[in-house]
Amino acid sequence: MIGVLRSLTATMATMMRKPVTIEYPSKHRRVPERDRAFPILLWDFEADEPFCTGCHACERACPVECMTVTMKDNPKHAEGKSKRRKIVDEFFIDYGRCMRCNICVEVCNFDAIAMNNTWTGHELSSVDRKDLIMDKEQLLALSKAKQIRPWVPS
Amino acid sequence: MAIEPETQVEREFETQDLFVNIGPQHPATHGVFRMVLEVDGEVVRNLIPHIGYMHRGGEKLSEHMDYRQAIGYQDRTEYLSQFNAELCYVLAVEKLAGLVPPERAEYIRIILTELNRVSSHFMFLGAFGTDLGVFGTSFTYAFREREHILDLFEEVSGDRLMYAYFRPGGVAWDVPRDFKDRVRWVCKQALVGADDMDKLLTDNEIFIARTRNIGKLSIEDAIDYGVTGPMLRASGMKFDLRRDEPYSIYDRFDFDIPVGTNGDCYDRYLVRLQEIRESIRIVEQAVEQMPDEGPILPERMPRMLRPAAGEVYMRCEDPRGEYGVYIISKGATQPYRCRIRSPSFCNLSALKHMTVGHFVADAVTILGATDIVLCSVDR
Amino acid sequence: MALLLWGIFGVDMNVWLDAFLRLQIVVIVMTVTVMGLIYIERKFVGRIQMRLGPMRTGPYGTLQSVADALKLLTKEDIRPATADFWLFELAPYVTFVPVFMTLLALPFMEGWFVRDLQLGLFYIVAIPGVTVIGYLMAGWASDNKYALLGAVRSAAQLISYELPLVLAVLAVSMVAGSLNLNDIILQQDTVPNLVLQPLPFLILLTAVLAELSRRPFDIPIGESELVGGPWVEYSGIRWSIIFALTEYAGLWAFSLIGAMVFLGGWEWPFGTRDFWGDFDFVYQLALVFSKSFLLILTMMWISATFPRLRIDQLMAFCWKILLPFGFLQVIINGIVLTYVDDSETARNVILFLTSSALVVAMAYVIYLATRQPSREERVGAILAARSAQ
Repeated sequence: MIGVLRSLTATMATMMRKPVTIEYPSKHRRVPERDRAFPILLWDFEADEPFCTGCHACERACPVECMTVTMKDNPKHAEGKSKRRKIVDEFFIDYGRCMRCNICVEVCNFDAIAMNNTWTGHELSSVDRKDLIMDKEQLLALSKAKQIRPWVPS
Repeated sequence: MAIEPETQVEREFETQDLFVNIGPQHPATHGVFRMVLEVDGEVVRNLIPHIGYMHRGGEKLSEHMDYRQAIGYQDRTEYLSQFNAELCYVLAVEKLAGLVPPERAEYIRIILTELNRVSSHFMFLGAFGTDLGVFGTSFTYAFREREHILDLFEEVSGDRLMYAYFRPGGVAWDVPRDFKDRVRWVCKQALVGADDMDKLLTDNEIFIARTRNIGKLSIEDAIDYGVTGPMLRASGMKFDLRRDEPYSIYDRFDFDIPVGTNGDCYDRYLVRLQEIRESIRIVEQAVEQMPDEGPILPERMPRMLRPAAGEVYMRCEDPRGEYGVYIISKGATQPYRCRIRSPSFCNLSALKHMTVGHFVADAVTILGATDIVLCSVDR
Repeated sequence: MALLLWGIFGVDMNVWLDAFLRLQIVVIVMTVTVMGLIYIERKFVGRIQMRLGPMRTGPYGTLQSVADALKLLTKEDIRPATADFWLFELAPYVTFVPVFMTLLALPFMEGWFVRDLQLGLFYIVAIPGVTVIGYLMAGWASDNKYALLGAVRSAAQLISYELPLVLAVLAVSMVAGSLNLNDIILQQDTVPNLVLQPLPFLILLTAVLAELSRRPFDIPIGESELVGGPWVEYSGIRWSIIFALTEYAGLWAFSLIGAMVFLGGWEWPFGTRDFWGDFDFVYQLALVFSKSFLLILTMMWISATFPRLRIDQLMAFCWKILLPFGFLQVIINGIVLTYVDDSETARNVILFLTSSALVVAMAYVIYLATRQPSREERVGAILAARSAQ
C-alpha cells in the first residue's frame, strides 16, 4: 500500500510546480546560435553580390544531392568592382531533400552558405512540395534583409 | 504468472485460437512493428513478428557516401542514441585509417555519448510507463529531463535529434565556451529526474505486479538469442563493452555495471534507471578531466579520407546493446561494404520466447521493456 | 425560494409535466457539468503532468469542450459495413441512458429531486448494471476482434465490481435504516457516514473507478493495447456519447452518490439550520457540489497516477479482497446494530471502531497479497552495484 501512496504524493508534488510547456505559436523559445535549420546564401554588402561563386563544392559534398548550381562569368569583375571572377548564376536547393547535415557549410571555401538559425527556418511548411525548392533570390532574401547573424564553424 | 504452454487443458468443447494483430499502426509498438499473437482466451500461444516496414536500404546507401556523409545515416539508424551510433562508426573508420583523435575531442565525444545514453533511457522510462497505462504522467516527467539534454545538444551541434557532429578523427567543430557549466547543470537536473521517476514507479505495487516475473529470460537463452545490453545485464550477466573491451577512453573512468537477478521486465527497468545514474557519474568525471583548450581534429587531416584497403569490425555499448559496424574498404573514399549490427534486431528475436505463456496485456509490456528502435531493426 | 422550485414556478401542475420539466433541468445541468468536467480533467491532469492543458479556445481554454462537441457533431457517421446495424447503432444509448437514469433519484437539495424513490439506493445500484449490455452489444456488433476482446473483458469487470458496490451501499443503508436517499442524508446531521463506515467508502471509491472503466481499471479501453476496446469502431458524436457523456456523467453521478451517502450530502455540517433563512438552498447546493467535486478530483488524481491492472489481477482484487471485506462489514454491521442499542453515540463509536479495524485488516491483506521482497532486496542488488564493483 505504501508504494501507491508514494506515487500519489509524487504526482501531487508535481502538480504544484510550474508547467514547463509554453504556448507556441504565440510564444517562441529562443533558439541557440548554432541552431541548424535549412541552408541559406549570404550576401556580400561590400561588393553588392552574393559571396557564392558557384564552385560546386557544396553540390558535390551534399549526401542527398539536393542542390543544383550553375556558374557564370562575373560582369562586375570585368568592370573592376569585384574580385570574384565567377559568380553564381542559378542556385536551387530542394528543402524537401535537404537533411540539414551542415556539410555544405563546412566545405564552402568562401563562407557563402550558412544555416538559417532563426525561427523562420523552422516554420517553412507549404502545401505543395514544389514550393520547397528554393531559388537563389529566396535563399538570399534573409541575408539581404540583414535579419540573420549566421554562425559558420571555423 | 505464466501458464505453461505445453499443458494440455481438458476441454468440454472444441475451441479455436484467435489471431490478434497488434498492427503496424499502434500506439504501443514503438514504431511500425507488427506482432501477430495467437491467443487462447487471454493467453498467448504463439507470436509472429513482422518487420521491415522501415527498411530504407541504409547499408546500400552508405556504400555511395563517403565517410563524412555517411555519419548522417548512422543518426537515422539509431534515432534515440545517435551519438552512440556515430561514435561506433567513427571509431571504426579511425581504426581503418589509423587516425588518432586528440584528447579534447575524445572527452567531448564521451560526454555527449553518455548524455545520449541518459536521454535514451529517459525515453524508455517515459514510453514504458505509457505502455503500462500511466498515460502521460511518466511520459512528461521523463521528457522534461530529456528536453534539458536535447537543449544542450542543440547548443553544441545545432540540431535536436540528428546531430552529424562526430567526424573520423574528432568532432566537427568546437563546443561553446560555457559547455562545462551547462553539462554540470544538465547532470544535476537529470539526477533529479531519475529520482522523480523512481518515486513514481519503482515502489508502486501496481507497477510491480505488472512487471515482476513477466518476460523472464535466463542467461543461457539470452546468449543463445544474441541479446545484449541492459536485457542481458538484467538476466544476470555482468557484461558491458565499456568495461570488458574498453574503447575510446572509457578505461579512465570509474563506474559500475548494474546487474539484475531475475531477468524480468522489472529488472530491466531498474537496470536502465541505475544506468542513468552511472552515466551521469561518467560525465561528471569526464567534465573534470577534460582539457580546456586543444585541437579537435588531428593535425594532418586529409580533405577526403581514403583509408587503406582492409576491413574492420568495431562494436560499442549502445543503450540497447551491442551496436556494431563492419566496414570493408578498398582504398576509395567510399566504403565497399558497410554492415550494421543492430542491437534491437537481435533483442527482438527473443520476443517470442519471452512472451509465449503470458497474457495479451503482458505482450505489450515485454515489447516495451525490450526497448526497440525500429529504424535500427530495419535499417 | 425552495418552494418555488418545488412545484415549478409555484404552479400546481400536472404531475407528468412537472416531472418532464424537472428532467429537463437535470439534463441541462448534466450537460453543462459534463462539459465542465472534461475541461477540469484536462487542466488538472495537465498540471499533474507539468503542462498547461487547453489554453487557446476561449479564455484559458474554457470553450474547449464546446469546440470538441461541435467538431464531433459535424463528423462523418461511419459504420463498418459488416457490423450488425441495430446493435451497433443502439449500443451507445444502452450504455448512456442507465447512467443518466441514476441521476433521477438523487436529491440535490432538501426536497428537490426528480422523484423521491423509497427504494432509492436499490434503484441506483441496479440501473447502472444495464450498461454491461451496452458494452457487449458494441463489442459484438463491431465485427472486430479487438472490440470483442475488450467487450468480454469489460463485461467480466463490470459485473464483478457491481458486487462490492452493492455491499458498500448496503452497509450504509443498514446504518441509516432506510434505502431512501433523503432519509440517509437526514440521518447524517451530526456525523457523516464517512466516519462511521470508512471501509465501505474505500470500497465504493474503488468500485466506482472500476464501473467507469477508469485507470487503474481501464483494461477494457486499454489505450496502449486494444485501443478503445469495445468502442474502437465508433467515431463522431456516437463515440462522444460513450466517452464524454457516459464516463463523465457517470463520474458525476457516482460522486454525487458518494457525497450524499458518505459525506453528508446537503445536510452536514449545517445544512438545515434556521439561520440560513430562505437561502438555505444555496448553501445546500454548494455543499453537495463541493463534496462531489472533491470526490471527482480524488478519482481524477488516482486515474492519472497509476498504471493499469491486468485483467486477472483486477478480478482477483475484486473477488478475493473487496468482496470478503464487504461481506464482513455487512455482517458486523448487523451484529452491532442489533445488539448495541444503548445510545446513539455508543453505537456510532462502535461502528467507527469496527469499520476502521476492517480497513486496517484490508490494508494488511493487500500488503500480504502484493508483498514483494522489500525494497532493499528487490532493488538493492542493482542499485548497490555501485559498491560491489
